[in-house]
Amino acid sequence: MRARSAVAALLLLGAALPTTAAASPGSFPSGSNAAELVRNFWDFVAQGDDDRRAAHPKPQAIEQAPDGGPAVDLSDLSQPTALEARLKPALTPKSGPIRLTVPGGTARLGDFSVGSTESVTGPLLVVQGDADIYGRLLGNLVTVDGDVIVHPGGLVTGDILALGGDVRDLGGEIGGEIRTLRSTTIFAQPAAAAEPPPNALETVFRRLAGVIGVFLTLAALGFGLVTFGRPNLEVVSDTVSHSFGRAFSTGLLGQILLLPTFGMLVVGLILSVAGILLLPFAVVVYGLLVVVGALGGFLAVAHAMGETYIRRRLALGAVLGSPNSYRYLTVGLGALASLWLAWAVFGWVPVAGDLIRGAAFLVTWLLATTGFGAALLSRAGIRENFAGRLIPPEALTDEYLWATPQFGVPAARRPGGTRTPTRGL
Amino acid sequence: MRRVVLLALALSLQTGVAAAQEMRPFTTFRQLHGETRLHASLEYAAGALRVAPGRPTELYRMDLAFDGERFAPISDYDAARNAVSLGLRRGGTGGVRVVSRGQLQQSANIAFAPSTELDLALNLGAVDADLELGGLRLASLDLQTGASRSVVRFSRPNATRCRSAELTSGAAELSVVGLGNSRCDRVVVEGGVGSVTLDFGGTWSSSARVNVRMAMGQLTLRLPRRLGVRVTMDKFLSSFDPAGMVRQGNTFTTPGYDRAERTLDLEVTAAMGGVRVEWLEGGGEKE
Repeated sequence: MRARSAVAALLLLGAALPTTAAASPGSFPSGSNAAELVRNFWDFVAQGDDDRRAAHPKPQAIEQAPDGGPAVDLSDLSQPTALEARLKPALTPKSGPIRLTVPGGTARLGDFSVGSTESVTGPLLVVQGDADIYGRLLGNLVTVDGDVIVHPGGLVTGDILALGGDVRDLGGEIGGEIRTLRSTTIFAQPAAAAEPPPNALETVFRRLAGVIGVFLTLAALGFGLVTFGRPNLEVVSDTVSHSFGRAFSTGLLGQILLLPTFGMLVVGLILSVAGILLLPFAVVVYGLLVVVGALGGFLAVAHAMGETYIRRRLALGAVLGSPNSYRYLTVGLGALASLWLAWAVFGWVPVAGDLIRGAAFLVTWLLATTGFGAALLSRAGIRENFAGRLIPPEALTDEYLWATPQFGVPAARRPGGTRTPTRGL
Repeated sequence: MRRVVLLALALSLQTGVAAAQEMRPFTTFRQLHGETRLHASLEYAAGALRVAPGRPTELYRMDLAFDGERFAPISDYDAARNAVSLGLRRGGTGGVRVVSRGQLQQSANIAFAPSTELDLALNLGAVDADLELGGLRLASLDLQTGASRSVVRFSRPNATRCRSAELTSGAAELSVVGLGNSRCDRVVVEGGVGSVTLDFGGTWSSSARVNVRMAMGQLTLRLPRRLGVRVTMDKFLSSFDPAGMVRQGNTFTTPGYDRAERTLDLEVTAAMGGVRVEWLEGGGEKE
């Protein structure tokens, strides 16, 4: 039953499938029908596994180029890349079909086979197709984007070169050298043409989206920081408010010393031998600390800006919602974003756009440097030395103030020193 | 902070460029049609190179992965002379690429028929080479290396007698292992700057003469104890540790040299550097 089905399928395929790659009827006599049928069957089976083969163009001869047209000599295949470079312009004409002269030889497009009773003389070029050699090829063979299959009994007296394909020797005889350059650039698609530059409106929208995206991300990070590290953020923020110049100087110095410090860390760890093991971790931790310091400092600056603004509004009698750190941060980030939003909207204006961008960059760098310095000064919000908090929070309770005179004669007479109570100094 | 960001950006861009280096695979081989002799000339500019005995049905084979923008493969067979030129030479329009050793991924595997008498000439540039010549029918060897690291092995005895082996290294590291298996009547080694290690282990079927000239660097001689060894030393600003050999003027001999069935005569000229002797026990085990 199975055998009968197979025979039926074979007959059906023989009737339905187009003949492969046979030589042109005039010049190359074809093999027997039975052999052709079997070959078609196996070609059909192979097609299922090989998409590239299915993409081969319809077998046909490549017309000879007119006098002065492209001609490629295939007598020497010892320099495959040079031959590839010569073939490329000939096989990729700007317009019209491929026309190419192979001196003393044949050029074919699509799959091509030399039947077992056939004999082809002279060099053979097969483009975008496989070359199946069952018979005799008295010359060199070159395929472009196709394989060479030399079947048992097949003979190629010259060299073989497969550009963008493979050579499969199934038991035939090859007199010359076999060369395979598996990737070829001949039919490579040219790089996509550059996109036209966006117009002004598109540019504005793109920049707006970018600026909004960045500041939304910063806001999300800032809210996280307020939720989980509010005391530290407030200390860094107060350091920015109360020691702005000092924080900026520290931040500037910190930036300059970043790389030397990193170098010293690495060298120190390497010299300590045992520290070499810690080197990868130290590098990662150092990088993280720098990023956290810079980002946290920048958010602290935003917080300080928002706090200052809101307190002034409140002092003027404005009615606002609860003045908390979330609000400070939102207002501060909004203020910082406003410069970049101005650039996003007016950046396309010739000169003014560049000036706005420069100003936005300068201000952002200035504030980021200050924030970084404040983070360094306050040890990431642990020390309050420069935060303007001269009196500890517990000293501000009514009970403490009632029981412990802070100023004046009673305070001066109090045993235990004359310093104003501070924390951390 | 900006510097760190710029540095990271530059590094990432450089990595991206390096990753874009596309290797082109190239294969060439020739069926064996009864050739009994082959003159093989290998020129290899840069990358990793492996040479070994191949299939008995193929005269030679080269599997190559090369940077198509900067190099071009060499593959040319001259049937009249039974000569083949293989390898990789600089070419193309890509300019000079500065990459680390790890990024230089060019590689070549070259194999020769074990049944064909082989005259092998190699010219290596910046190459990491591993040449397994044991099991071939090596009739002669001429190796010239530039700034390379090369290991030449004779893991199995040479199937034919080798007339000569001439090894010239520039600023290089060269190791020749199992010279006893090479069956070469004459070995000449010229070392420039770097280190040269000559391992005379293996199966000695006859006596041999070896001439070594070192300009500047370290020469290590690994000598089998069962062999009668005579070292004639001509040195200038060089140190030599005779390691148990008996000295007579500039000549150092092993105690059983006169009675030894197989002898090894070494003429060593060393300008600057050191010559060290290590002894191999039995089948080539280092002491």
